[in-house]
Amino acid sequence: MTVRTRLLDPAVARAMSAVSAAAKKGLGDPALAELVVIRASQLNHCAFCLDMHLGIARGHGVDERRLDLLAAWEEAEEVFDERERAALALTEAVTVLTDGFVPDDVYDRAAAHFDATRLAHLIGLIVAINNWNRVMVGRRIPPGGYTP
Amino acid sequence: MTTTEESTATTVTYATEPTPRLDWAALAPDVFKAMVRLDAAAGRGLDPALRELVRIRASQLNHCAFCLDMHTKDALAAGESVERIVQLSAWEESRHFYTERELAALELTDAVTVLTDGFVPDEVYERAAGQFEEAELAQLIAAISVINAWNRFGVTCRRTPGHYQPGRHL
Repeated sequence: MTVRTRLLDPAVARAMSAVSAAAKKGLGDPALAELVVIRASQLNHCAFCLDMHLGIARGHGVDERRLDLLAAWEEAEEVFDERERAALALTEAVTVLTDGFVPDDVYDRAAAHFDATRLAHLIGLIVAINNWNRVMVGRRIPPGGYTP
Repeated sequence: MTTTEESTATTVTYATEPTPRLDWAALAPDVFKAMVRLDAAAGRGLDPALRELVRIRASQLNHCAFCLDMHTKDALAAGESVERIVQLSAWEESRHFYTERELAALELTDAVTVLTDGFVPDEVYERAAGQFEEAELAQLIAAISVINAWNRFGVTCRRTPGHYQPGRHL
């Protein structure tokens, strides 16, 4: 696969990093943040983002089995707890926006597990990775360029 | 006011306006400020009229009522025609309302927005690359991504449309 363009305005890249960093910090759960980011990158088919965040997740000590089963988290109840499942359901709803809205039951489930401030940052994190996914897939940035 | 107009005014009852779910910008001000910086950075070098068309089209695909309210009003205030705004949801069948450059940008907007169905097709990217030089194209991709970001905040937090005044964007 050939890269389409590596150009990205440095001010755009800095602001995107700032959105991601602020959201991740406010969520305050680095391991969960990686699960959310990896799941969105799976849905958006972003090879660069998957490669990067699977590496970061392993660095945080996230169990391989959880990474293996993340794409089928709904069928893996024993591997992901209710809080994680609420976050992953929200991730999917916010990522696949073109098929409909974010259903009330999905939103309410997330709101039951995260206080308003953490929920706002969780939503920010889902938005931020969707942003990176688009910028990387659109420019066809290949996986492997990221060094932890 | 005539009797007819009066009777029309009294019989029309609209549904109740929904309540927003979350004031995310107040709860995550650091994220909001970075988004505002990103929005400004992603617009640099792009034609403002083209950017509004892209914003409206992405907001249609993502069903963001709040964003549609904002960007259709801003586009109209900036002198965009009602026809070109209305036809955006069917741009493939109303190509003669738009320039080839705008069409290439709209096609790229659709592809980058509906990412879960596949990748951004080569022919779509190539058509855009034929109309925009490389740095401008990178900015266009960034601008499409950023409106997708605002759409996600708007829909998820259920920000309600109808209250936006043109020109107050950010």
